[in-house]
Amino acid sequence: MAYSDKVIDHYNNPRNVGQLDKSSTEVGTGLVGAPECGDVMRLQIRVNPETQVIEEAKFKTFGCGSAIASSSLATEWIKGRTVDDAMAIKNTDIVKELSLPPVKIHCSVLAEDAIRAAIGDWKKKNGAAETAQATTVAVAH
Amino acid sequence: MFKVLDSAVPIACWSCSIGHNDSTLFCPHCSKIQPPPGGDYFSVFGLEPRLGLDLPALEHEFHRLSRKVHPDRFARAGENERQWSLADTALLNDAYRTLKDPLHRTEYLLKLEGAEIGPDLSAESAAADGKDRKDPSRVPADLLEEVFELNMQLEEMRMARKMGETDAGLQPSLEQAKRRFDGLLVEVDQNLRIQWQVWDEGDAAARKKAEKTMVGLLDRRRYLSNLVRDVTETLGA
Repeated sequence: MAYSDKVIDHYNNPRNVGQLDKSSTEVGTGLVGAPECGDVMRLQIRVNPETQVIEEAKFKTFGCGSAIASSSLATEWIKGRTVDDAMAIKNTDIVKELSLPPVKIHCSVLAEDAIRAAIGDWKKKNGAAETAQATTVAVAH
Repeated sequence: MFKVLDSAVPIACWSCSIGHNDSTLFCPHCSKIQPPPGGDYFSVFGLEPRLGLDLPALEHEFHRLSRKVHPDRFARAGENERQWSLADTALLNDAYRTLKDPLHRTEYLLKLEGAEIGPDLSAESAAADGKDRKDPSRVPADLLEEVFELNMQLEEMRMARKMGETDAGLQPSLEQAKRRFDGLLVEVDQNLRIQWQVWDEGDAAARKKAEKTMVGLLDRRRYLSNLVRDVTETLGA
């Protein structure tokens, strides 16, 4: 199957590969998987406690080119956004940007899930009240 | 007269016009070949959907039906019958291939029952507005952690190989991991067999519960078999 130029670009030059200190209270970690294909994706964010802005985002993905590109793009997009803004990113935005074919849509879903899981983890670390809210949001989708 | 299965729609035979279930390859009344039936793969063999199958009997029935629908036997038949013998043969092959394999059979039955499994279905369900998406937490977190860690080890080992190094510590730990994952695969398969029996013998509620468990087991199995494949590749490289 032919990958789009943008997928190939992210695959060859993935942005923000790496990891952040999992134990830090400013860091949220999301580890998600796609059982269909066996992909695993870890996405981490470091949030400024004052401004709630995501100042750093890192990922590590084991999976196909589309999964790597989706998570690479996700880290690019969430950097500089507030936590609430980042929650607004939809898998369909990723699909459009990367021109993912229908069989690879689940890769974008995985990236969206990873963002939500990372933010959820950060919220859990920073007050239980917000956790309840995060859970509700996750269920609504 | 004739017994109608819930899943089968009665249709009239093209030749003798007597109604029969849309599940047989031959009219039970006049024995003429029929167009590919619209029922499920089980009904092609005259079976109710079930997971525990008598495989020798299935194979025997497959061979018997294969001979009966073989296109050679219809070489001089009318155009319709010739086409149907081809289409019926293809259907019979698909049905047999699916049902004889335990995993394919389980996935097929789960799909019949409306469960969401397999790559093709997930792509559709995740499409568009993201509604009906699968529960991302279906796979236990500890398995994900493990899959991730093992992938890190595999990558480390491949990198070391590339640099011309041999990491003495990594090889045994990978071999150990492979043995463990092989063992987990066996465990998953044993659990699947237990659920087969629950499904085959249970009522509607028990079946629904077993279906959910089986979907989870198949997900786990996919991760594990991918891992075993990757570990084997890296070890053998």
